[in-house]
Amino acid sequence: MMRMKVLPLDIGDAGTQRCRLGPGLMASLGLRIASPVHITISGGECLCIAWPRCDLAEGFLQFDTKCTTKDLKAINFNDLSVSAKQIRAICTQKLKSVRVNVVVQSIEVKKHSSSSFIHDHVKEMLRGMCVAGQYVVDVSHLKTQVELILIEHLDPCCTDAGFVTSKTSVNIGEIQTLNNYRCQLQKPSSILLGGLEDVCASLKEILNLPLCYPGTLQKLGLSCPKGVLLIGPPGVGKTMLVRCVVMEVGASLVTVNGPVILGSRPGESEENLRRMFKRASEAAQEGPCVLFIDEIDSICPRRTGSTSAPQNRVVAQLLTLMDGIGSDERFVIIGATNQPDTLDPALRRPGRFDREVIIGVPTLHQRKSILDVLSSKMSLSDNVDFVALAEMTTGYVGADLSALCREAALQAILRGSQDSQSHTVDMKHFLEALKKVQPSCLRSSIGLTDFKPISWDQIGGLEDVKLKLKQSIEWPMKFPEAFIRLGLSRPRGILLYGPPGCAKTTLVKAAASSSHCAFLSVSGADLFSPFVGDSEKTLAQLFRQARACAPSVLFLDEIDSILGSRSDSRAPHSVQARMLSVLLNELDGVGLKIQERRGTQRTNCQLEGSIEFQQERQMDYQEVCNKDVMIVAATNRPDALDSALLRPGRLDKIIYVPSPDMEARLAILEICTKRMPLESDVCLEALAQQTHLFSGADLENLCKEAALLTLQEESMEASSIKHKYFIKSLQSMTPSLKDQQIDRYKHLFTS
Amino acid sequence: MIVVYLLIIIAGYRDVRCEMSKPALFSLHQALKRSFHSLEQNQKVWNSVLEECGPLMGSLGNLAEQLLALHGVKIPSTPLARFSDLQDRLRFKLLLAVDTVLEKLAEKMCSLQSVRDAVGNQVTAAFQVYEQHADTVDLVTCLQRAAAVPSIADMLEWLQDAEGYYRQQYLRRKALLQALKPNDLADLQSTPKRWEALATPEREDSVSDTLLRVSFFMDSP
Repeated sequence: MMRMKVLPLDIGDAGTQRCRLGPGLMASLGLRIASPVHITISGGECLCIAWPRCDLAEGFLQFDTKCTTKDLKAINFNDLSVSAKQIRAICTQKLKSVRVNVVVQSIEVKKHSSSSFIHDHVKEMLRGMCVAGQYVVDVSHLKTQVELILIEHLDPCCTDAGFVTSKTSVNIGEIQTLNNYRCQLQKPSSILLGGLEDVCASLKEILNLPLCYPGTLQKLGLSCPKGVLLIGPPGVGKTMLVRCVVMEVGASLVTVNGPVILGSRPGESEENLRRMFKRASEAAQEGPCVLFIDEIDSICPRRTGSTSAPQNRVVAQLLTLMDGIGSDERFVIIGATNQPDTLDPALRRPGRFDREVIIGVPTLHQRKSILDVLSSKMSLSDNVDFVALAEMTTGYVGADLSALCREAALQAILRGSQDSQSHTVDMKHFLEALKKVQPSCLRSSIGLTDFKPISWDQIGGLEDVKLKLKQSIEWPMKFPEAFIRLGLSRPRGILLYGPPGCAKTTLVKAAASSSHCAFLSVSGADLFSPFVGDSEKTLAQLFRQARACAPSVLFLDEIDSILGSRSDSRAPHSVQARMLSVLLNELDGVGLKIQERRGTQRTNCQLEGSIEFQQERQMDYQEVCNKDVMIVAATNRPDALDSALLRPGRLDKIIYVPSPDMEARLAILEICTKRMPLESDVCLEALAQQTHLFSGADLENLCKEAALLTLQEESMEASSIKHKYFIKSLQSMTPSLKDQQIDRYKHLFTS
Repeated sequence: MIVVYLLIIIAGYRDVRCEMSKPALFSLHQALKRSFHSLEQNQKVWNSVLEECGPLMGSLGNLAEQLLALHGVKIPSTPLARFSDLQDRLRFKLLLAVDTVLEKLAEKMCSLQSVRDAVGNQVTAAFQVYEQHADTVDLVTCLQRAAAVPSIADMLEWLQDAEGYYRQQYLRRKALLQALKPNDLADLQSTPKRWEALATPEREDSVSDTLLRVSFFMDSP
């Protein structure tokens, strides 16, 4: 079968509906000059009139896309080839009448042109053309106000194509504008949203009322809400939500981007803004329309003094335009922002943005449904457990979760064996991806730390301290049901105190790595700043971020240096005192800010007893139990802390990390020397007995010293450490703790 | 031997076909000649009518400018304040003049339309003749070019192009005139410029080129 290369059309042939073929092909298809042909190409169809090529060459095809089906539009014909099978001759008749819809340039043309004018025009344009039902005739090359003619119906209707002659009567049905036509043409690609059902429903209600039932509202004397402000952290799907809702309601969407609006000339920005509103109101005359202003904080910041006059003018223009929308105009403005505080307050009042919809960081349930939606098109193996994955991905927003799924799929492709054809995504791929994709709400956080995971076994002794920590951090995550059943709530805060070097920090690390929750660690260096009020702001922001990805653990090391005591009368208004008040407020203030709202109350409609129901219940408990941030503080000067901080409800669990006793020291020594080759005469028990008042850090140091001494005394080839080196290094060391010091710690909270 | 016989038979058949297609070809050539003659005359008429339209358009623009000026001036604050209804009278006069010009333009449009229709009818007639003889005149014959006689396919194409040109020009000029609004003076003022912009000299030239290409053919008996 001969294939023909598709070439672009000669300029002279534009608008003539010709298709240029080689004469040999024409003869083989039984075509005469100017007989109609039907070309099937790249998903669409095209009606043309056959002409021989001027150079009579074979193997090429040029055709005018004046009369095509809708799906052929906007397809690039470069490097395309067709076979002769795709071209066929058709027999045509002269048409008696044809019914068409007309697409005109703009709304003015639609309003001001008389119907007889358009009728004459269209008739004249169609004369001599070969058309078929449901085809689109593109007449934009004539440069008149009519852009497209949509052929609706032919008479006689039995023919599939026909010629329009001067005797054919043309009936014009609808007249619509080009914008409206393009909006309708956009395929309703299904955007799936997970976990946003309630927000989606409320938004749809706001849109549906004024857009689809304006009459009912007018009868009730209501003015429809005209504006909706979407608030939420980046990546939760604000923009996608709007696109989805607009598509479902069937409205046309006009999108405004801040940077596009702002121009360099004075007055240009306002002009652009006016133009966008005009476009929206034009679109609204034909059907419901939504004007979507993404990142509205960039064009409408808080108006300040005289320093930024151009900016203020833009804000004022936006306000005036929003007030200027008449109630009869059926368009709704949706603004989206992640910094509602920076918006001008005048914008956030009824009449402008009537409603504010807050989309929080997804909760456990929402994460699960997002994962379900995202993975609906992935091929998964059976062991993928989305409930577990949702539990692990605290603080992940929709964008993070989609990145996670992409990364997991990528892992499956890269790690999958080359020969196996079916790439299924496994749970281990997800776990691998989890290491790479960090939640975006923590990306800019100051407290995010990277540390080597430590298991509980790596800490010697301190069994009861470990148990207490596990109780307060791990248990609420693992057994939420039991906690709820006994009416327990997890502690708000934990204070670890004890002499230095006794593994307080290591304990917290182990707790953080054993529980899958976000772990933020801050020190004084992160918080303090030379500007007044800056440190407090940073601390408050830290809490906000931690709450966004709750359950999370916030670790304040050396808390005595960060916070002062109010009883300390030397500096009543020092930074430390102010930090303390911020911390107290964050720990148990009156409530949260409105913007931090997450998820809404859900109603369960499943039957009790089913497996899904139990799973749901489990997830519910999990959410109820772990919605807070837990503070873990460590200090070795608990006496310097403010007493308000230590009362129940704040740092309510106070754990003393004692200096290691005999057994603990033995355990520590065993852990420290695990990787050291010891001579058989080494007696760790004896060492443990001799190292009274040694802290964990001291013991580690002792082992190091002994090993170093071995290398020094013997040679670099020494293969094992002898007991005498331990004794020798022990003699040169003094314990860092003192009896008196330990006594003070012991009696601090008991006396 | 058989092959030779076959060849002779085929050659004879071709001769017969040629003999058969001769009168058809002749009548087709006659129809094309008629069409080109008509096109030549109509082109002259079209160009002359368009030339006459130029001054009319100019005066339309002038009148619009005068109307604009009248709209801008405050007669009570000039020495002519004594003539109380001067402004209205002037406007009436100017509008009357605009009406006259538009009437004349409408006449011109009528003659342009007749040119378009005449060309269109001739081209349709030529195509009809081709359709009638399409069975006897095969594609190879249609594509034969000679020094003095262009191929039938080419000539049909040129005729169609010329017709398309006149139709498009008429359509756009008529659309321009019909879209005029009496109260939008600025729009009215810019009409001459837009009228000029509608002309497509290269396509006009291609019509002349066509006539030059077929001049030998037209002169042949």
